[in-house]
Amino acid sequence: MPDVLASFINLIPVTIAQSLIVAFVVLGVMIPFRLLGFPDLTSEGAYPLGGCVTGVLIASGYDPVFAMAVAACAGFLAGSTTAFIHLRFGINTLLAGILVMTMLYSINLRIMGRTNIALFTFDSLFKDINPENFNDPWFKIAVVGTLIAVILAALYYLLVTERGTTIRAVGASPDMAEAQGVSIWSATIFGVGSASLFTALGGGIMVQSQGFADVNMGFGILINGLAALIIGEAITGRKTVLRQLLAPIAGALAYYQLVSLCLSLGLAPADLKLATGLFVLIMLALPALRRGGNVPQLREKIRE
Amino acid sequence: MLEVKGAARTFYAGTSDERRALAGIDLTLNEGDFCVVIGSNGAGKSSLLNAVAGKLKLDHGSILIDGVDVTRLPVHRRARFISRVFQDPMLGTAPTMTVAENMLLADLRGKTPRLVPGLTAERQAVYRDRLAILNLGLEDRLDAPVGLLSGGQRQSLSLIMAVSNSPRLLLLDEHTAALDPKTAATVMDATIRTIAEFGLTVLMVTHNMSHALECGNRLIMMDSGHFQLQVATPEKDTLTVPDLIERFHVKSDRMLLQA
Repeated sequence: MPDVLASFINLIPVTIAQSLIVAFVVLGVMIPFRLLGFPDLTSEGAYPLGGCVTGVLIASGYDPVFAMAVAACAGFLAGSTTAFIHLRFGINTLLAGILVMTMLYSINLRIMGRTNIALFTFDSLFKDINPENFNDPWFKIAVVGTLIAVILAALYYLLVTERGTTIRAVGASPDMAEAQGVSIWSATIFGVGSASLFTALGGGIMVQSQGFADVNMGFGILINGLAALIIGEAITGRKTVLRQLLAPIAGALAYYQLVSLCLSLGLAPADLKLATGLFVLIMLALPALRRGGNVPQLREKIRE
Repeated sequence: MLEVKGAARTFYAGTSDERRALAGIDLTLNEGDFCVVIGSNGAGKSSLLNAVAGKLKLDHGSILIDGVDVTRLPVHRRARFISRVFQDPMLGTAPTMTVAENMLLADLRGKTPRLVPGLTAERQAVYRDRLAILNLGLEDRLDAPVGLLSGGQRQSLSLIMAVSNSPRLLLLDEHTAALDPKTAATVMDATIRTIAEFGLTVLMVTHNMSHALECGNRLIMMDSGHFQLQVATPEKDTLTVPDLIERFHVKSDRMLLQA
């Protein structure tokens, strides 16, 4: 038992660093789902897209910051494509997301030209800032933590401005927003696009942290993100914009510590996706089980 | 002010379910007109309102507001001229947003939203004053999510939101139909007071014949996409509910029940 505890405690900093990077993805899951009423699956493709674009550009000698900026733009394009498919053709948001995510798999392979690229020998955001000690988890925590804090602060400011309020209205009540002169098209394309931008940025940071890009790196990331979001919302609540914005980061931190604990306790890594899936299922099913058959809003949203 | 010229729309054209919702309608509203539209279910009342709002595309005809052709403008671009209270209290407000945020959205109607903080202290004070007119205590619940309000409160809020910013044209779509009789009377009363106060131009659809006779200076009765009857004051003032029923062969049970 002390061994288990010791290995878990040793892993805490590494896990925090990892969760802060994935917090970008959780943010990318939360924005369409909670702020726009647009359950979206694009992240599963946008995350490796960000990773592949960043990986290829860095391996070709480009500056890591430039590589991440291009990755972020590619992510925005992916998300806005999903939004466009839904708006223009009336295709269900989840199906639109699956279409884009599936097509992105081929695109990601084309971008990389192979299934993975090792990046250990190349430049990275972390090496640029601190060449001596770039692999120190606490250093990574400081860098990524600062980045996400700045992004969350900017998002918070945006969401309480006049324009941000109109964007939130599209998620809260599309009919009402439209009647008040808000364009559903521009709010949805901008919102879902930005969400995938953050997801792709998360992928771009992850490949630099782990030292390789892999076309399969997105597999299961959406369910991890959703699980983290649900945990985060249980911690922070959803009553205010600020709480809703803090949920992804709180959730990512808690979720990955929980996973790390389960792994130290002997859960086989192969069973992890099953365990995560069951966890999300139980969390989504709980309200229905409690109320005895009433379909709760969350489950309904996902089923749409 | 509002000109509808030859508005026509047919649903399910070319099938056995073909139905003419609007059969080439002409309607002109002058500044300050309060026009009530009645008719049985399927007569085309809602289609007329939706066409004016931009929710329903026309097969033929055009719609002008203040001389500007808006026929091709989508709903959100007509919001500069038009505000609307829906029948369903759930549609006209954003349930997860607060009372103040809903008021802000109405305040921004037809303006370009800026990247500056929305709910300033000055704005909240203005909203408090506007809501106080309703006497429902909403002025003390600015931070409450609208989803927690009752149907009557939400509909009253929708009304205040719709009249703030003095829209060129107010559309009321059976906006008291989903409320209990007492609440409906309160909301209707507030409607008449605010319309008079702001001197708004109004197009109102209702199933309630006594409302139709009490309110407004013009009355239109629709049937199968046509205007079956058009009256204006002073002739309108002499009409009674039995008149309407007998003279114009109204066969709608729902209208009789609500008369």
